[in-house]
Amino acid sequence: MLELKDLHKSIGGAEILHGVDLKLAKGDVLAVLGPSGSGKTTLLRCLNFLERADCGEVTLLGQTLNMAAASRQEIADYRRHTAFVFQNFNLFANKTALQNVTEGLIVARKMPKDQAEERGREALRRVGLADKADAYLAQLSGGQQQRVAIARAVAARPDVIFLDEPTSALDPELISEVLDVIKQLADDGMTMIIVTHEIRFARHVATHVLFMDEGKALAHTSTNDFFENQTSERVRNFLGSLNRKDD
Amino acid sequence: MSERLIDILVTSFPRILTQGLLMTIPLTVLSFALALVIAMACAMVQIADIKGLRQVVRFYIWLIRGTPLLVQLYLVYFGLPDLGIILPAFPCAVFVFALNEGAYCAETMRAAIESVPKGQLEAGYCVGMSYFQTMRRIILPQAFRTAFPPLSNSLISMLKDTSLAANITLTEMFMTAQRVAGRTYEHLALYAEVALIYLIFCTVITRLQAMGEKRLKRMNGGDVIRA
Repeated sequence: MLELKDLHKSIGGAEILHGVDLKLAKGDVLAVLGPSGSGKTTLLRCLNFLERADCGEVTLLGQTLNMAAASRQEIADYRRHTAFVFQNFNLFANKTALQNVTEGLIVARKMPKDQAEERGREALRRVGLADKADAYLAQLSGGQQQRVAIARAVAARPDVIFLDEPTSALDPELISEVLDVIKQLADDGMTMIIVTHEIRFARHVATHVLFMDEGKALAHTSTNDFFENQTSERVRNFLGSLNRKDD
Repeated sequence: MSERLIDILVTSFPRILTQGLLMTIPLTVLSFALALVIAMACAMVQIADIKGLRQVVRFYIWLIRGTPLLVQLYLVYFGLPDLGIILPAFPCAVFVFALNEGAYCAETMRAAIESVPKGQLEAGYCVGMSYFQTMRRIILPQAFRTAFPPLSNSLISMLKDTSLAANITLTEMFMTAQRVAGRTYEHLALYAEVALIYLIFCTVITRLQAMGEKRLKRMNGGDVIRA
């Protein structure tokens, strides 16, 4: 459903991504793992054109885009099929929870207001925040804000959701409520790419793993193969260091 | 206080106040409204980085902020007639005040827009909104809340600065007081009286500012917490 070929990206003269490929079928949940600075977030941002790639090709639902040259209109069309969840939520600070969810539907997709609100409430229900529809950000915890952000992503009924370290900005006790919501989406068959440091979560929820190291995809396999039949010493060391941290 | 002085103050008070309401306030409101339009346009040119125009805007702001308001008034009112451009006092004052305040407010607005986190724009893109849709519905409302107190400051400044228009023959509040003082030789009393009226006007603006801030806060859901 989604295929990325040979993505290169430099920032400030330093090449962050040296030719990354990935492939995703409908219903796949791809966990992007790897050490800090390996280019995971840049990869995801390039995938939604928040960063402009130097070169690369992305095919979504049969439509192929040249990532360096895609026009504004092509990017807008592409984004109709995607949604993005940010590490620091990026909820609209001047809007309520419900307005955050409906804003894009009403403004960008020209959906009638009552229809958008109905869909927005349904999305909030899905993340367990039906009672917070009229709350502003100041009245929501970090975990709740991220769940609103997920509701915002879901409400547009995207074909794929990109999640950039969705729990990294959260207090430890708030992480599981967000992970539970993401797991629910995975169980419902939502196609997702998740950049995460939550290895255990990746192991249980992801169908595939992409391991990034120094701007390259070191491994791109099924989750089972990644964790059970890992041959790369580099990856084994990384997983080992995380396990030590867990103990 | 002599009876004569009291009499002068009592009769001049409504006269000065009326001139304030009929001249100083309209001059301030009209100039400030135009200044906001200029400021908004200049801020957007800089934020959207529109090539060519950006340099024009920077030059304008540099020029206005680098020269005294009184000199600008003289240049336009007494100087431009040498080039055959003759403006009556009121339009001339509106023109200069709007241009002057516009340069300052442009900087206020630019800073306020830049203070909105970049993630807000990215989030707008990701839900399918365009640059201008996100600006209008997400960024500018937040920026306006930030800009509101300093803009109120500018409005208060401008109200008082309109007294400079007396120099270009505009019969506003200050000139009215000046005339009475000249006729009666009660300088201290008359200038204190006009100062008091400016103070009253500015107090009203300050009250309006407090109400406006409260309202903006409610509309934005209390204190903004940004991750």
